[in-house]
Amino acid sequence: MHRDETRTELGMIKIHKNVIASIASLASMEIEGVKRVGGDFKSGILELIGKKSNLAVKVDIDRNDEVKLDIPLVIKYEYNIPEIANRVQENVRQALEKMTSLSVRDININIQGIDK
Amino acid sequence: MRIFTVLGIIFYATVIILIGVSLIIFSLNLLGPQDIKNACDYLQCNTNSRIMLGLSGFLLILISFSFAQLILGRFQREKTIAFNTSSGEVTIALSAVEDLIKRLGKIIPEIKELRPDVIATKKGIMVDLRVVLGSEASIPELTARLQELAKSKIQEVLGIEEQIIVKIHVAKITTFEERDKKKKESDKEEGGSIPYSGYGRA
Repeated sequence: MHRDETRTELGMIKIHKNVIASIASLASMEIEGVKRVGGDFKSGILELIGKKSNLAVKVDIDRNDEVKLDIPLVIKYEYNIPEIANRVQENVRQALEKMTSLSVRDININIQGIDK
Repeated sequence: MRIFTVLGIIFYATVIILIGVSLIIFSLNLLGPQDIKNACDYLQCNTNSRIMLGLSGFLLILISFSFAQLILGRFQREKTIAFNTSSGEVTIALSAVEDLIKRLGKIIPEIKELRPDVIATKKGIMVDLRVVLGSEASIPELTARLQELAKSKIQEVLGIEEQIIVKIHVAKITTFEERDKKKKESDKEEGGSIPYSGYGRA
């Protein structure tokens, strides 16, 4: 699994992809109207075997240390999807930049379902 | 149709025709097992022909994989509605739109069952609704209401301005009597299934 690495005077700081996925997952859940992260086939299988839902978030880090995220979401009924997706993208970007100082290239939202 | 798809179709048609022709030739006894054995021996003995055969096999596998990916990718792409924002892409699974429409069935009490099927085409979004209604419902009024509701809800929730076509198929109309009768029958069956159930202890 790739990790984002930063060198300091004292040594290396590595941020695991799962950490980035967790931040993205938590930041997504902060937005009102998001029911849960996941909902696709892969995350369903992971949930069945007892893995955390943040593993549903796909993280790619390219050579320029730019992060690309794919977040599957289930949205609550009665909420406007483009508006929620925009707010999730903004919140995830802010959270990642604040906590990891990584530059985020793309945050792709994949709406998998609508729930009460 | 793209040139690659046409080539793929021609390739698969050719392969299947060749297999068919070989089987016919074999069944007509024009080609004996000895001929096949000789051809196989020739291919196996000659190094050049073996290399050619191996490379052809490898090429066939590659073509099959790329063709399968092309078809599956297209199917996957058609199953979502996508739009771009400044931060990235937003894709909405058509099953999510179906979930949304299913919820509408619960709003209207006359709808007993609602099965949506959503397809995204170049023309817009096609929604096929299969409904079971209660007998108390006025079909023209209810279907018009449902069409309008589905259309407005999809536009509101998805925020799209594309054309939305809602088709409704009334599959069944259930009556109160029918439901009561069914309920009574099931109660009767449950009661009648236990022998001596009417007797109590003295």
